[in-house]
Formats: sequence, structure tokens, C-alpha cells
Amino acid sequence: MKKKNNPWAIFWAVLAMLYFFVPMLGTFIFSLRMKRGVLSFLAYQSVLSDANFLRSFRYSATMGVVTVIVSVVLLLPSVYWIYIKAPKMKPVMEIISILPFVIPVIVLVFGLIRTFGRPPFQLTLSSFGTDVLIAAGYVIISMPYMYRAIDVGMRSMDVRTLTEAAQNLGSNWFQVLTLVILPNLRIAILSGALICFATVMGELILGDFLVRPALGSYMAGVGRSKAYEPAALAIISYGLTWLCLGLIQYFSRGRSQQQLTGR
Amino acid sequence: MAQLELIHISKSFNEMTAVQDFNLAVEAGEFISFLGPSGCGKTTTLRMVAGFEIPTSGVIQLDGMDLTPLPPNRRNMGMVFQSYALFPNMTAAQNVGYGLRVAGKPRVEIEQRVNEMLDLIQMHDFAERYPNQLSGGQQQRLALARALAIKPRVLLLDEPLSALDAKIRLELRQEIRRIQRQLGITTIYVTHDQEEALSLSDRIVIMRRGVIEQVGTPQQIYNFPASDFVAEFVGHINLLPVEVVQADAGVVRLGSQVVRAGQFGHLNGRPVRLAVRPEELKAGSVEGANNLTGMIESVTYLGAIVRIRVDVDGQLVSLDMFNERSLEIPVVGQPFHVNFPVEACWLTNGVKN
Repeated sequence: MKKKNNPWAIFWAVLAMLYFFVPMLGTFIFSLRMKRGVLSFLAYQSVLSDANFLRSFRYSATMGVVTVIVSVVLLLPSVYWIYIKAPKMKPVMEIISILPFVIPVIVLVFGLIRTFGRPPFQLTLSSFGTDVLIAAGYVIISMPYMYRAIDVGMRSMDVRTLTEAAQNLGSNWFQVLTLVILPNLRIAILSGALICFATVMGELILGDFLVRPALGSYMAGVGRSKAYEPAALAIISYGLTWLCLGLIQYFSRGRSQQQLTGR
Repeated sequence: MAQLELIHISKSFNEMTAVQDFNLAVEAGEFISFLGPSGCGKTTTLRMVAGFEIPTSGVIQLDGMDLTPLPPNRRNMGMVFQSYALFPNMTAAQNVGYGLRVAGKPRVEIEQRVNEMLDLIQMHDFAERYPNQLSGGQQQRLALARALAIKPRVLLLDEPLSALDAKIRLELRQEIRRIQRQLGITTIYVTHDQEEALSLSDRIVIMRRGVIEQVGTPQQIYNFPASDFVAEFVGHINLLPVEVVQADAGVVRLGSQVVRAGQFGHLNGRPVRLAVRPEELKAGSVEGANNLTGMIESVTYLGAIVRIRVDVDGQLVSLDMFNERSLEIPVVGQPFHVNFPVEACWLTNGVKN
């Protein structure tokens, strides 16, 4: 039986779409109006040719990659361990994983500076030390996403039995993790990684307070001093986020079957 | 000397005792089944052999060497799981070759062994398929090949057929036995299906509440059960309360009818029951045998056999008749005579023999 379309459902859907897209469209059109009287991509040109933009873009992208790597290295074995050895710890981990949503980033950044900016650490004295600190902050901020992604991936396979099968065939813990668990979590980790990356690319407070050239701080700075470029930047960052979401969709589509264990 | 020995093995989880003082010596090439109801400790015992559980006390020896401190990946045991546990990211061939790959064997050797194994389970054409492209039966055969590829010293099977449908189960059962015989590999098979255990095993270990009830060949288990539990758990049996008439001759009374038993122990104290398998009972009266008269209470037609329940002075007695085309199915409510040889039945007072 074909489901009838409810006119009210369509009405609300259209309303929601308008609510979402009209401001975006407005921003987009505004970003094209840098030159009086004609529509042009001048604002985009101006943004993309700005050395500071490229520098901050590169910085944030690098930090994004570092964050993803550190998150996976930290969370994959931890979540795996909880599944195998300490299932009772799962509720605790769930709570820890949502703490970054509860604690404001501003609190986190002051905590970081107060703890690690002083002796004996004094990490804020060098730019590398600050980068370490900022990366740690990013890892915490993006932890909820990465944890969920890995957790969902693990739930879709029989982790314990697969581990036992691999052990029984002679593999050590490292081999179990790299040859059996990781490949079967590929898609889950990839989607977690893309959300992580997008989060880092848009993050403002950590970069601002630790005074590093992050993309978020750059955008905020441009927004304070210029008119058309911020609109262009907003559209670019939207595009970037959507690209990430599109990639998640693309990689997780059609392959979900391979995720299933032979149960 | 036995190849695998479990000596005074016990296992407790917190307060609960899962296995208690388990002793067993398995000969090389032997096919042993652990049979029992769920929660009897059979899987726990198997997992202790595999190394996934550590015994609370006791020793497991393989060829005289103590296995107990070894982790599972250094025991060289091939295990087949109920849920197959194939690696979803690898093809059939890669699954079979996994154990050799992590052992760092050369590529040529792995390839050769994989081919050998795929031939053994007759799945050469499926080498490049992924597990999710295979049927349940094929997946389990593959899991068996994977377990055997590493040339394990002992093969462990944990209810490998439980997840499959009846027909495949029967086929695979025969295949497991064929491969086991062909390779002569020592095998432990955990199951709750008595038919599987009876048809596959050289010896069966019957377990109940973490304790061994009886160890014996399928025939010993079925014909000479060591306890009422074994008698009732394996196959069908009539256990009928009787009154002792002559304790030293095994003569008892079932209702008002006198029966003589071929095997009996001390009959003092406890209530005594007469045990006889339904297939030992025949219709009609025979001189010299035990004869009972009753009323037919129900008739169940099962195809190959017809199960009849006869009310003998208030006690229900089951008997199985083989189906024949010429068989006249008895009618419920009619009087019926049954007989069984004196040697076919025994008396039990609930105490382990």
C-alpha cells in the first residue's frame, strides 16, 4: 500500500527548509555583492588569496588530522577493552563521553591554561607546547562523537567471539586489534573521524584563548573587521561541513553488509 | 597415556560454582562429547581447555605438559563457535589462512594449506566469497576448516550445529565425523542435543550442575545409565513407582501386577522405581517375560514409530512400536497387553549406582 502524503507534513517540511535555507541563500547572495551592482566571486577571491586564511586553514586542518589520530589511538583500545574485559564500566564511559557537552569549552580552556601553563608543565611557553595543549582540548571536545561512532561499530559485531576466535588461532592482542577489530570498524571510525575533523575546523574558543592561528579565530577576526568576506567564509565552512557529511554518507552506504558478522 | 587430561578441575564465578572436581582423560584421536542441560558447565569446561577461562583449581595437561598457565593464543587448539565467528572483513580463503598468517608462515605454504582445507570441506569454489555471501552451513564448514588449518592438537566444538536448521545439521554432523576420522584429531564436542552426542561420540560425558554424572560409550550411557538423571536425560524412559515384594529377588508390584527386574541394588529405605525404555515393551503377552495389562490412554503417530501410553493400574506406561504398513493402530480406551523381558528393566531408588 502506498503511503499517502499528508499535506500538513509537507507544509511543515517546507517551512523548516525555508527556515534553514533562506538565511543561507541570503548569506550567499550577500557574499556575491562585494562589487557594487554586479554579482561576483570577488569576496571568495579575497578570502582565498589571504595568506592568513591559508595559514589558519592549514593549521586547523593539521590539528583536525592530529585530533582524529589521537582520538582513535586513545578511544579504540579503551572502548574495546570495556567491551571485552569490563562491560560493567560501560555506563561510566557513557557519562564521561558526554561530559564535554555539559562542561563549557571556556571552562575547559581555563582549566587547561591554569593547570598546564604553570610550572612544572609550562606548556604555553612554546608554540609546540601550546599545540599539544590545543590538540588535547580538541580530542576532549570531539570525544562524544568519536566514542559514539566506535561504540555503534562495536555493537554491530560480536566483538567478544571474534576476539576469541582470533586468539584461538594464535593472534596476540595487537594482531586481534589491527587485523580483526580495526578493519571491521573501518566505516564507523571513518564517520567518527569526519565529524571530529569538522568539529575542529569550526572550533573558536580553544584557538582564541590559546592564541593559535585556528580557522575559527580567523573567521571571527574577519567578521569583526570586514563585511563581505565573512559571508563568503561562512559559505565555505558550510560547504566543508557538508562535504564531510556527504563523505560519511558515501562510505557508509551499501557497505553496511560487510559490517555484519556471520551470525 | 592420555593425550589430554583434566585433573580435579573446578571453576567458580563469584559465589556460583560452574564446574566442580571435573576429571577426564581423553585418548589421542578420541571423539568426546560433553552433554547436559544448559547451565551444566559443559561450555565452561570447554572454554577452560581453550584457555578462555582459568580454572579456580585443578590442572589441564596436554601430552603431559601443564596447559593451565598458557594464554589461548599459545595452546594450539582449534575452536569452532556456535555463532561461526568468521571474520567479516576477510574472504573464505583469508579466513582459513588467518591462523597461518599470524604465525608468520610463508605465503606459498599458506596458499597450499588453504587449498587443502577448502578441498577437505568441498568449498573450493567459494574461496573468494565473504562470510555474508555464504549460507549458515557453509559458514560453519568454513569455521571448521579455519580451526583445522593451524593443525591444532585438539579440536574443540562449542554447539557448532545449534544455529542451523535440521537438515543441514544432520549433513554437517556426518561431515564433522568424516573429517575427524580422516584426520584422526582428538575432539571435544559440546552439545545439549543427545542425538548428536549419541551418533558422533566415542565416549560421552554427561554433566549436571557442574558435576560429571557419567562417562561412557553411547551404548553404556543409553543402556546402563548411572543415575536416574542420565536415564531420563538421554532418550525416553518409563520410571514407575513400585512396591517391593521380594527385595533379594527383585520382585516388585506395579499396582496389582507383579514384575521381576533383571538388575537391582539395595532396595531398602527409599521409594523404589522400575525403569524400562519404551522400545523394550512389546504388545501382547509372552510366557516367562513380565506381562502387564492396562487400558490405552493415548496413541501418538510419529511416522517411523508409534508411541502408545497404557494406563496400568493408574500408572502411565509408554511403549514404542515400529511403524509398518500393515500395522493396526490401537484404539484409545481399549484393553491392552504389554510384555518386556526381565533383563530389559531395572530397579532404582534414586541413589547413583
